[in-house]
Amino acid sequence: MSEIKVVANILHTNEEITSQNKRLLNEKGIYVINMMSSPGSGKTSLLEKIISKLKDRIRIAVIEGDLYTTKDAERIEAQGVPVVQINTGGACHLDGKMIKGALDSLNLDNVDLLVIENVGNLVCPAAFELGEDIKITVLSTTEGNDKPLKYPRMFENSGAIILNKMDLLELTNFDKAEFYKDINSLNALATIFETSCVKDPDQGIDELCSWLSQQVNINSQFNKACI
Amino acid sequence: MHEVSIIQSVIEIVTKQALDNNLTKINNVSLRIGELSGVMPESLEFAFESCIKGTMLEESTLNMEIISALGECKECNLEFPIEHFNKLCPSCNKFCTNISRGYELYINTIEGD
Repeated sequence: MSEIKVVANILHTNEEITSQNKRLLNEKGIYVINMMSSPGSGKTSLLEKIISKLKDRIRIAVIEGDLYTTKDAERIEAQGVPVVQINTGGACHLDGKMIKGALDSLNLDNVDLLVIENVGNLVCPAAFELGEDIKITVLSTTEGNDKPLKYPRMFENSGAIILNKMDLLELTNFDKAEFYKDINSLNALATIFETSCVKDPDQGIDELCSWLSQQVNINSQFNKACI
Repeated sequence: MHEVSIIQSVIEIVTKQALDNNLTKINNVSLRIGELSGVMPESLEFAFESCIKGTMLEESTLNMEIISALGECKECNLEFPIEHFNKLCPSCNKFCTNISRGYELYINTIEGD
C-alpha cells in the first residue's frame, strides 16, 4: 500500500471556473452581486425595488437561481431588464459552472450591474464563490435576530447585510441590539441597511440604491483606470 | 446538503490522483477541514458513504482532521482561538481580520494499492 500526499483544494474546480467568470466580468466592467438569504426574506421584492429605482441610470441584468420554478424570473422580467433563469433541479446552491452557462445567454456589453439571486438557503450558497464582487445577505425581521450566529458562514463573508421587513419589526420579538452585537462579532466590516419594501412608503431603499450606484461607479472607474 | 457536491469533488480529485500514481484501489482518504469552512463532518461522512459506491473509493475509509480557528489581532498581536466565528479580540475587543487558520478545506493524503 502506498500513501500519496495530495494537498489539493477540494473546491479547486469551482474556483477555477469562478476565476474565469470573474475575469470575463471584470473585462466587461460589470459589478456583480451574489445575493443570498433564506427563502422568503424578500430578495426578489428588494430586487424589484432596486431595479425600478435604478434601471434608468444603470444597466442591470439578473441571474435567478431557483430549484424548480421561473416565478422569480417572471417578476424580474416584468421590470424590463434581462434575466436568465437557472433551475438547479433540487440542488441547494449555485456554483461557478452554472453561472458560466448563464453568462453565455446575456449580452454582457450592455450590463453595468449583474445581480445573481442565489437559491433561498442560509447554509450552502455561502461555500461557493460565483465570481462576484460582493456578497449581500438579506435577513428579515420575522426570521429572528438569532440567525447570524446560527448561520454564521453566510453573514461573516458578506460585504453588506440587509435587514428587511422593518415594517413588521414591532410584531416580532426581533432584538435589533442583539443583531448588531452579533454582526459586530462576526463581520464588523459589513455595511448594514434596514429596509422595508412591500408597504408604501418603502424604507431604506433610497439609501441602499444610492450606495449600490456608488459601488457600480467605483467599479467602472476602477476598470477604466485598469484599461 | 452541499456536502454531496464537496464529496463528488473529492472523488474526482482522488480518482485522478490514483490514476496518475497507478493505483487501482483507494483504502483511505484524509481531509483537513477548518472549523470556519462551513462544512459539517457528519454530513460529509454520510455523503461519502453514499457517493463512493461504484467508484475506485468504494472500500475506502474517510479520515477528517478538524483544524481549529485562530486569529491574530493586528492591534495587540494576541493570537487567540476563534470560537463560533466570534472574531473580536478577547484582549482589546477589536475586530480581527487576520485569520491565520480555520478556513481549510482540502485533501491531505490518500492511501491505496
